[in-house]
Amino acid sequence: MRRARVLLATLSLALMGTRAGSAQSLPSGPLELANGQVTVAADIAATIGARDDAAPPECPRRCGAFFNYTDYEHNALRMFRVSFSGAWRPSRRLAFLTEIRSEDRERFRPYALYVRVRPWTTHAFDVQAGRIPPVFGAYSRHVYGPDNWLIGQPLAYQYLTSLRPSAIPASADDLLVMRGRGWLARYPVGSPASGPGVPIISAYQWDVGIEASVATKHIDAAAAVTSGTLSNPRVDDDNDGRQISARVGWKPVVGLVIGGSYAHGEWLNGALRDSLSSVIHSGQRYPQEAFGLDAEYSRDYWLVRGEFIRSRWRLPALSSPFIHGPLDATAAFVESRYRFTPRLFAAARLDGLRFSRISGEKVFSGVPTTWDAPVGRVEAGGGVYIQRNLTVRAVVQRNWRDGGFIHKRTFVSGQIAFWF
Amino acid sequence: MKLMHALTILTCAALLLGSAQREQRSRTVTGTIRGRIDVRTSGTTELRPDVAALGMHAAHDRPDRRRSVVYLETAPRGAFDPSEEPRASMDQLNENFVPHVLPIIAGTTVDFPNDDATYHSVFSLSKAKPFNLGRYAAGRSKSVRFDQPGIVRVFCDIHSHMNAFILVFAHRYFTVTDDDGRYRLPNVPAGSYTLTVWNETVRGDAPRRAIAIAAEGADVDADFTIR
Repeated sequence: MRRARVLLATLSLALMGTRAGSAQSLPSGPLELANGQVTVAADIAATIGARDDAAPPECPRRCGAFFNYTDYEHNALRMFRVSFSGAWRPSRRLAFLTEIRSEDRERFRPYALYVRVRPWTTHAFDVQAGRIPPVFGAYSRHVYGPDNWLIGQPLAYQYLTSLRPSAIPASADDLLVMRGRGWLARYPVGSPASGPGVPIISAYQWDVGIEASVATKHIDAAAAVTSGTLSNPRVDDDNDGRQISARVGWKPVVGLVIGGSYAHGEWLNGALRDSLSSVIHSGQRYPQEAFGLDAEYSRDYWLVRGEFIRSRWRLPALSSPFIHGPLDATAAFVESRYRFTPRLFAAARLDGLRFSRISGEKVFSGVPTTWDAPVGRVEAGGGVYIQRNLTVRAVVQRNWRDGGFIHKRTFVSGQIAFWF
Repeated sequence: MKLMHALTILTCAALLLGSAQREQRSRTVTGTIRGRIDVRTSGTTELRPDVAALGMHAAHDRPDRRRSVVYLETAPRGAFDPSEEPRASMDQLNENFVPHVLPIIAGTTVDFPNDDATYHSVFSLSKAKPFNLGRYAAGRSKSVRFDQPGIVRVFCDIHSHMNAFILVFAHRYFTVTDDDGRYRLPNVPAGSYTLTVWNETVRGDAPRRAIAIAAEGADVDADFTIR
């Protein structure tokens, strides 16, 4: 039969089950509306892990380790997190962007809401105003699902120190008593209620202000003026102070990015300052000041990045034993990911947080001691890409702390993350 | 000696038979299937909202999602004959895979040159051919050989908006539409076929149509509309 055909084809063209989604059955890109002018994306992560607020028998009261808490209620290693982001680009020069986020099924809160203007379309110069992304460092601009290979966050961006902007220690002893208890600190000056301390840089809240950025082939730079500070970003200004922050990034070769950051802003709550007007000089400033270095290098199947951050807070010296000088905190982390196969990857992060020393009288018998308990953390794990934008991850995280009721704790955590 | 004679005769017979088959093939009546695929769905692919960025993302090219692949669902005899090892290329240019849709025959080696000034990391999780080329810089190229028919969806690990499709066929009766949606499938032997259209925007069953190339050979028009 001259025209005989071979019906093998099913073979080939089962191929073609003809569905675009044969390799990608869930949405892979953002939803588009109004001919692409409006885009909506989502980032969903469900994480399971052991509790970290349970009291071991030796604890006098509720005294979990709270290593991964982002405030008194939320644990980064057992969190259900949903965020939606949206952009409306009515023209090439103008865009409105927002992100709303819910943690542990609480109501959605705005995380970002700002306008972006590009005055000249031929130049990579942009101005952003509103609740804007932080300029300082690199980590807080990562999108959690695709950019965070592990489950936990770096200490600098998550771990709660014992400092609070609305309540302060009167003496060095007051501060030393709170070592390693940043999740719920209490001080005699300011707000009488207990409350969580602040991280060096908050990855869970963005600041309100205005930012300008410029980018060239090898250099990018950005500067911002905002109402809060790195550790206490604010929607409403509570102290009439402004933070100035800036970052310069350099790409000397493809694959390598090096950045340097600086921030300086009035940190202490205005109401607290007012209550101390009789004992502190009206012109005296109590800022948070920070320097940062960040770097990222990638090649083949490797990606390595890290940050070094040094932060300094100033507090009023109210009573003896005085807190002399600023309170310093130094954080550093390095993390790496290796992709073994298209689906399988492994990652690890080495993380540390150190503090400067102060001297009390009664607490630690006057021996110079770090004002908060130094913390170390190693997190390692791996994941599988079910789809390009759907991963299952599992990590083991070991924490050490030189203070508090609990000095060491290991956690195992698993997560499924999806984004589009 | 007898063995030598036998081998010589067999060889001559094989050569004569092969020559006859080639002649037969060259005389085969063929036709051309042609037409236009009118894709009326959205043609844009936007970036995720870059809320965490400090400025606007650099401009990048957008893939043309209106490109379709037209192919015969059942292929004529001889369509599966092995030929020389074919080669194709999928470029990474201005944060876009070019071409966005690449139909190839099984056994093709595809080069993935990076012609951007930034890293790209080409990978696929497709069942037909999972691969991960890792990060490589401008001017470099890596290759993948596709042996198994199927749809291979290609992504960049760094730029989430970059994606492309490689359609691997077991036969050579396929083509991709041009800028106007037009296509031409030449040298189809006379016979009855099912002509199928693949487009990434199609959800559900692919558009298909029964086609007949007459015994005397003729051109056949087949237009499709994808909404």
